[in-house]
Amino acid sequence: MGSAASVQSHHAEVPWPADAQYGSATPGKIGMWVFLISDAFSFAGLLIAYAILRTGHPVWRQPGEPELGVYFTAGLTLLLLLSSLTNVLAFAAAREERRREATMYLALTALGGALFIAGQAQEWFGIVGHGLIREGLVFGQSPRASIFYVVTGFHGFHVIVGVAYILATLAAYARGTAGWRQVELLGLFWCFVDFVWIFVFSALYLLPS
Amino acid sequence: MAHDTGLDARTDRSEHALVFLALVVLTGLELTVAKVPGVGHRALVSALVVLAVSKAALIGLFFMHLKYETRSLKLTVLLPLLAPALYAVALIADATWRLL
Repeated sequence: MGSAASVQSHHAEVPWPADAQYGSATPGKIGMWVFLISDAFSFAGLLIAYAILRTGHPVWRQPGEPELGVYFTAGLTLLLLLSSLTNVLAFAAAREERRREATMYLALTALGGALFIAGQAQEWFGIVGHGLIREGLVFGQSPRASIFYVVTGFHGFHVIVGVAYILATLAAYARGTAGWRQVELLGLFWCFVDFVWIFVFSALYLLPS
Repeated sequence: MAHDTGLDARTDRSEHALVFLALVVLTGLELTVAKVPGVGHRALVSALVVLAVSKAALIGLFFMHLKYETRSLKLTVLLPLLAPALYAVALIADATWRLL
């Protein structure tokens, strides 16, 4: 590639000049980072609200409210970490023009995201057995319940958008209209979803109620 | 820039595997710390913050490839994140103070 990086436009790689400050990062990549920073602020606002609410309520868990399933959610956390690994492996394969391998890893990443959403639906609604809602953790009935559903719901929305983004990128990559740079941008978003979940998991699930 | 040299360091599978292993171990440590009886609340919060920031740093640096970006891009990403951290400290301290 020499000193100039390149961006993929349809089927052709067109040269992209290296910038003195941002190297070979394309405007798309810088734009994605700026978007992720603004999104991080949204999550930070919610987690700060959670911390303030919790600090202001010495009795955080109201009588009759269930404990959260820490071990079940730890399993979901590992699933999300695994999907970040398959995502970064998809990027590595796409960078080396191993298209079949990249396609497989992208599909596995989407599967990981879909399973995470299924796990969250199980936790909330109880697809098998009772979910948190039927066990008494009802939105609007306590600060603990409300902030729990707002934060995990906002994150779950990101996972759903992420899975749709993966599938769209996968389809474009399979058609040959997307290349490794598009896979890289997708990877930034998907790993951000994992990045944020680390803080959500620690704050909402691991601190004893 | 690593990815301008032909051999892209961001495609190192063994590094990815090591980072994933570290993330799994750190998650196990989080669970252990949270479930060990007798740990004080402040110590528990401190440990969980350190472990969460360590995991997030691994993901940002290696899985999001921030380690391989220019200094300007690293600063563009990391400096704004100091703002919510400062807000968190100030607002949580304020909420705690009101309870005293």
